[in-house]
Amino acid sequence: MAADVYGGTGRRIEAGQDVRKRRTRSVTETAVYAFLFFAFAEVAIHLLTLGLEHQGGVTLAVSEPVATSFSRPDIVDRNGRLLATDLEAPSIYADPGMVVDRDELVEKLATVLPDIDSKELLRALSDRSRRFVWVRRGVSPKVAQKVHDLGLPGLSFRYELKRAYPDGKLAGHVLGSVNVDNRGLSGIEKYIDEKVGTDPIHAAVLSTRPPVRLSLDIGVQHALEDELDAAEKLYQTKGAAGLVLNIKTGEVLASASIPRVDPTWPTQALDSKHLDRITGGTYELGSVVKTLTIAMALDEGIAKPDTMVDVRQPLQVGRFTVKDFHASNRPLSVTEVFTHSSNIGAGMLALEAGTDRLEGFLRKLGMLTTLTTEEGTVAAPQLPDRWGRAATITVAYGHGIAVAPLQFAAAAATILNGGRPVHPTFLRRFDTDSVDEKPIITENTSREMARMMRLNVSGPDGTGKEADVPGYRVGGKTGTADIAKRGGYSSKSVISSFLGAFPMDDPQYLTFVILFDPKGTKETHGHHTAGYTAAPVTGRLIARIAGQLGVRPMEVVASQ
Amino acid sequence: MRLLNVTAFFFAIASALLLYGLNYDTRRLEAEVQAKERLADRARDDIAVLKAERGALARPDRIDAIARQLGLSPPRVDQFVTGREVSALDERREGGNGR
Repeated sequence: MAADVYGGTGRRIEAGQDVRKRRTRSVTETAVYAFLFFAFAEVAIHLLTLGLEHQGGVTLAVSEPVATSFSRPDIVDRNGRLLATDLEAPSIYADPGMVVDRDELVEKLATVLPDIDSKELLRALSDRSRRFVWVRRGVSPKVAQKVHDLGLPGLSFRYELKRAYPDGKLAGHVLGSVNVDNRGLSGIEKYIDEKVGTDPIHAAVLSTRPPVRLSLDIGVQHALEDELDAAEKLYQTKGAAGLVLNIKTGEVLASASIPRVDPTWPTQALDSKHLDRITGGTYELGSVVKTLTIAMALDEGIAKPDTMVDVRQPLQVGRFTVKDFHASNRPLSVTEVFTHSSNIGAGMLALEAGTDRLEGFLRKLGMLTTLTTEEGTVAAPQLPDRWGRAATITVAYGHGIAVAPLQFAAAAATILNGGRPVHPTFLRRFDTDSVDEKPIITENTSREMARMMRLNVSGPDGTGKEADVPGYRVGGKTGTADIAKRGGYSSKSVISSFLGAFPMDDPQYLTFVILFDPKGTKETHGHHTAGYTAAPVTGRLIARIAGQLGVRPMEVVASQ
Repeated sequence: MRLLNVTAFFFAIASALLLYGLNYDTRRLEAEVQAKERLADRARDDIAVLKAERGALARPDRIDAIARQLGLSPPRVDQFVTGREVSALDERREGGNGR
């Protein structure tokens, strides 16, 4: 019994232990399964979040041995024709550590790249601690292939962006140039860096920015450069310059300075001979400035076109005597002072107005302050030290004051634009914002000046007859300024210029042609004055561009 | 219990295979995308080169020289007529053809 009892008790104890064991095992199992479940769930959740989360582009931090380059937007003319673009070009570099024979490498390279600096390259290659030496950046694919064919160890290629100018030297001064890293150095290229924006890049990636649309018209620009080239040859000038301006909008349609610069060679522009004379140089422009003086006289109510001015006696200015090129033995009307280009007449009108009024008028036209365009800051005008009687007289006929041609052209355009200020721009303008500005001279003065300029070209004794193009109603003013030399002026070398505009019944376009030190030819009977040199160049220019600009010619008889 | 173990085991194997397959597919797609991007880049570069070439071919000094060789010259004033005159010319010609 007792055994039974004990046996019974032992079984009960065993059974109790079994239950406990089973319970422990099921707890362990549950824990393991739970752990596994949670582990899988965690992985699943992780995968889901990875899948759902938006993954930005993978960025790799690679130590970049090469300087960052920049991608630039294209430059196009007003009609969308290409002036500058980025192209992918191979650049050659060397790893000094991998070069087997330095001398052989330099020697063989010189057969393909003859202008390479052998000494400098040898020196760079002898530094074995360096891993990267530029040999030549931005070569043509053909040259790269030739270098590749040399089979020199240690040389490698890298594709970079290089600025290309498909039109060569056309508008080179306006476009400016870029450096080897594709950063703008001058002209519109610099403007793009400062105002439009470029994108830093690590490989040759083309810009996605919209092209920069200039106000220039390639066709007009070419016509201008071609005519200036021809004039340089014909009159053996020491340089020439010209511009075409839209009077209504201030857009510069063409701007050229001879000799031209190639934007591909930035160092060329540093040479003073290659200065952009339209914006970078200031000149005493001579009689063309009478356009402003006479406009002042009319606008200030000092004279009317038929007011008579006695120009028979020379004007005494200190030690100098102001004379006329063709002395007149009778009093001239204000219109005649303009068409005969009388220095005495202009001086007398300025004296009558007084220094303050003349200076104030020039200031109103923006002739005395520094002008800035997209191409850069225009050379600051050189003004008289003291605005006395002498300055008043000389400034009246364009001496004693030197301004950049673009600045003068803008002032003249303002006069022909009904007095509404003209702000020259090199970018295409879609709205004429000058319309909102208050006219600074009266509509009537503007009309009278246009009439006088037309008369100066169409009239029997005008100085600008050679500029006439039948049908296009050209008007203008000649300017022959003696070039200042040490201790005075030389009348042998002159700056001959012609300020033109057309069609004069409602002036749309302004041209300004400047020839530096032209010589007389057989056709000009040895004369080098503007009427014989700059005026005919303007005539030929207008004949070429008027059609392109959409100016309708009139019946020749009606246009006179 | 054993059934659960076996199921879990197969599930693990199956998901491993699936993951492997997905990984493989992703890599393949990635390579394809890269190839397409390279092609697009190449095309963009080609377009840039062609654009520049067209610009160089259409440069006015080149056209000018060619045109003059062909005996052309800038238009003269008397070569411009009004639209009305052109349509009058057309009418006359049409009339002529009718006769």
